[in-house]
Amino acid sequence: MVNKVTRKKHYRPPGQKKEGNAARYVTRSQAVKQLQIGLPLFRKLCIYKGVFPREPKKKVKGNHHTYYHLKDISFLHHEPLLEKCREIRAYEKKIKKADAKKNKERANFLIERRPTYLSGLLRIIKERYPKFIDALRDLDDCLSLVHLFAALPAQERLKVEAKRIHECRRLSHEWQAFISRTHKLRKVFISVKGIYYQAEVEGQKITWLAPHALHQILTDDVDLTVILNFMDFYEKLLAHVNKHLFNSINLEYPPILDPRLEALAADFYALLRFFDANTRTSLLNPQTSSSSQFGQVDAEDSELRLAQLQHQLPLNEPTALMHLVEDASGMDEDEDEDTRECKKLFKNMKFFLSREVHRESLLFIIPAFGGMVSWEGDGAPFKESEKTITHQIVDRSTQTHKFLSRDYVQPQWVFDCVNNRIILPTEDYLVGRDPPPHLSPFVDNDAEGYVPDYAVTLNKLKADAKNEILPLPGVGKEDLDDPQKLLDAGVIDRAKAIEAAEMKQKMMALEKEYHDELKLELQGGKYSSAISNVDKQLPDQEKEGGEDTNLPDYQQMAEDTDKLSKVMMSRKKKSLYEAMQIGKRTKKGKIDLLHERKKKHKESHKSQ
Amino acid sequence: MGKKSKGSRKGKKAWRANISTAEIEDFFEKSTKDALSGGSLSALPSDSLFVVDKSQDLSVKRKIEKKRDKVLYCDSVLTKNPFVQAVPSSVNKKSKKKPKEASSVKDIFQEDPKVGMLDLWGDEGEVRSKKTSKKSKPSIIPAVEVEPPGCSFNPSHESHQDVLAQAVAQEMQKVYRKELAPAPVPLTVPGEVISEEDMLFLDADINTDDETNLDEMDQDEDNELEKRPLKMRRVTRVELNKRARHKEKVRKEAEAKKVEGVSKEIDSLPDIIQEIAKEDEERDNRRIRRTIAKQEKLKSCPPRLGKHKFEPAPVQVLLSEEITGSLRKLKGCCTLVRDRYKSLEKRGIIAPTAKSRRK
Repeated sequence: MVNKVTRKKHYRPPGQKKEGNAARYVTRSQAVKQLQIGLPLFRKLCIYKGVFPREPKKKVKGNHHTYYHLKDISFLHHEPLLEKCREIRAYEKKIKKADAKKNKERANFLIERRPTYLSGLLRIIKERYPKFIDALRDLDDCLSLVHLFAALPAQERLKVEAKRIHECRRLSHEWQAFISRTHKLRKVFISVKGIYYQAEVEGQKITWLAPHALHQILTDDVDLTVILNFMDFYEKLLAHVNKHLFNSINLEYPPILDPRLEALAADFYALLRFFDANTRTSLLNPQTSSSSQFGQVDAEDSELRLAQLQHQLPLNEPTALMHLVEDASGMDEDEDEDTRECKKLFKNMKFFLSREVHRESLLFIIPAFGGMVSWEGDGAPFKESEKTITHQIVDRSTQTHKFLSRDYVQPQWVFDCVNNRIILPTEDYLVGRDPPPHLSPFVDNDAEGYVPDYAVTLNKLKADAKNEILPLPGVGKEDLDDPQKLLDAGVIDRAKAIEAAEMKQKMMALEKEYHDELKLELQGGKYSSAISNVDKQLPDQEKEGGEDTNLPDYQQMAEDTDKLSKVMMSRKKKSLYEAMQIGKRTKKGKIDLLHERKKKHKESHKSQ
Repeated sequence: MGKKSKGSRKGKKAWRANISTAEIEDFFEKSTKDALSGGSLSALPSDSLFVVDKSQDLSVKRKIEKKRDKVLYCDSVLTKNPFVQAVPSSVNKKSKKKPKEASSVKDIFQEDPKVGMLDLWGDEGEVRSKKTSKKSKPSIIPAVEVEPPGCSFNPSHESHQDVLAQAVAQEMQKVYRKELAPAPVPLTVPGEVISEEDMLFLDADINTDDETNLDEMDQDEDNELEKRPLKMRRVTRVELNKRARHKEKVRKEAEAKKVEGVSKEIDSLPDIIQEIAKEDEERDNRRIRRTIAKQEKLKSCPPRLGKHKFEPAPVQVLLSEEITGSLRKLKGCCTLVRDRYKSLEKRGIIAPTAKSRRK
């Protein structure tokens, strides 16, 4: 193969040297032959190294082949893991031979010393993600798969081992605990597929999908070996990412958990307690924790054990969690605005989850926003009868026994509060009512152009919370108990505010218009740079056009500039511009459709 | 040669002659031999006679090696001479440095896992200045695509209708495709079995047809041969002149026509320019449309990577009557493994495969 393509063209005997696509791409079977490995191993290596098939412009061998770039293949060729895999294969043969000869002793001996490619995987991780931030950028898929495997049933027949599932569960809990502890969670969206979470770690937005608490099914159209190969890699990756994150907040990894809580399947809570205990020790003697050298590991270890033993005694006291929150607030000063906001959201609130509520997600979310949470069962921080509980999360149609001191809300309330970063009035979410729609926080309503009804009310509430309801965080019980009053007051104020805003908008529009005209006069023909600006302004101005008096003149003007700039543009730019226009038109069409539907829906409701 | 006279047998001589001295001679011989060799062997103790060889035997291998000890000249030439310094090869600095680095890295990663996991990104400060090759991502589709708001477990009415409409459209597309597809080739054709006798007749018919056709063809050929004139007529000078003149005339006419056409075209130049502009615009539009379509397609599905086409999984959306607003009663998606797998396929990381039935 010749991969120097820049060479001059000359006569080549047929089949000797190639150029162009034929030289740059090889089919999968060719690649396998070149690397002298089997197909399964090739697939595995591709997954580990992040090599993916390409689509060449000209498919030399036909459309029914999978093509790989030749450079990718030579990249695989130089991989030490390849040699290691060959070694492992030879070793497996030895075991097989010993087994076949009924030489049990030797077989066991060999099995015990089986080589692994662990170190090779680590090297690959480092190679693929030279900096930590690279790893974070690529973590979405990893987290989704690990969370998914944590919820899968173990099936030895399909090589989904129980050990792997436990490992995934542990890893996902560790990740969640870190996010929760450092208040990095930003958005949550419950869809039919699962629960989408978005966290922001070191400026990177990481989105992952966790499954619902359901029995997951493996369908036949999935090649499970592929997924398992991915899992091999991702488990290692997430373990090291967790390790780095834990180290970054002066914690040890792997964490040592309270065995009793672990036995009660409350490992997440156990993790939080571990965090708490560790920060305490570090507060007591900061020297040891700051210098995490190997020599001191043992000493710290024993200390930690002691701390945990201490904690085991007052297991059912909420103090541990109280401390957790306080310590967290005292610890780090170098956090951004968002984190601070998130940390304060559920401050001084105590939640209790009823028996029927799915615990996993709520246990993760509520501490992430500074609240305290407990559940029904052994090992819980506090009981249902605790008097200081402010909210009880209930997911049933009726609640017979009620404490007057707390609100009984549906779980959706928590998610909506988190997404809007305000404490919503609980009225709509009380037990037995149909809650308002759960809107996706991942949709940018302004960009989309269509704002659902409930989003409008939410926005109003948000604006209120920002402007005048500074007392809201410290709202007395009476206000929370009577959200209707609060809402009414807010509505009246809002009506005024909206009027004012409208006036302001009109003024702004007029002013902008004037400025634009001035600009036109000044700049003459030079608009190519300002095209995008003009574009953005266009639809706005059209909308506002209804209220303006001197509208046609202006529209004419806009059209003229549009045409002029179009003439001035290069062909490439022009095509791009036109593509943008088309996109806009389709979007607008969609929005119009939605509005129409809404109108129809309302009319039909009225007629009923 | 006379006979030796026989002496009397009674005398001394006769006696002496008959006594053998061999014994004595033997003794003397032996004694002299012993004296020469250093003592008789029978007198010596057996220990001094026989010795057990305690020196080790040479192994067979060594024996062979001993014989092979000879070094061939060609080999001896290649052996390293300690007194001669090697000529430094022209290796550039880059490749010299690399192996060292690699070895150090290897050492790091082969640390004993029992001691504790090493922090891969612990030494962030001294990240090697080696430029990190920017890897192209297989596609622009994000790893985790967030579903549209209509797929929420408790969606608002409009967005839910929107997503439902999409799902319905997808399903209908499938149905229409099935309906509009060409009918498959039938596996059996209705008809009666032809008996062997009939078969013979069929063959016979065909044969007769062929023969008649052939006959007709032959006749045609014969006719043509007869019609062809046997002699070529000679062209006269007058005729040649006539032809030349005619040719000239035709040429001139054509030229005049051409000139006229050009002038006409010049007159209609603006129209032509317009036409060209129109064509250009059309071509541009087509190109734009194509590029946009391509980009849109890349946003929603991967390029064709193998034998099989990527098929997206159906949209996961609740039916209108399934919306309860309660998380507990939610009928969620339980095939998330497939979803992740499809996502991998969609991003072009793995080539789509055919549906495989698992045993």
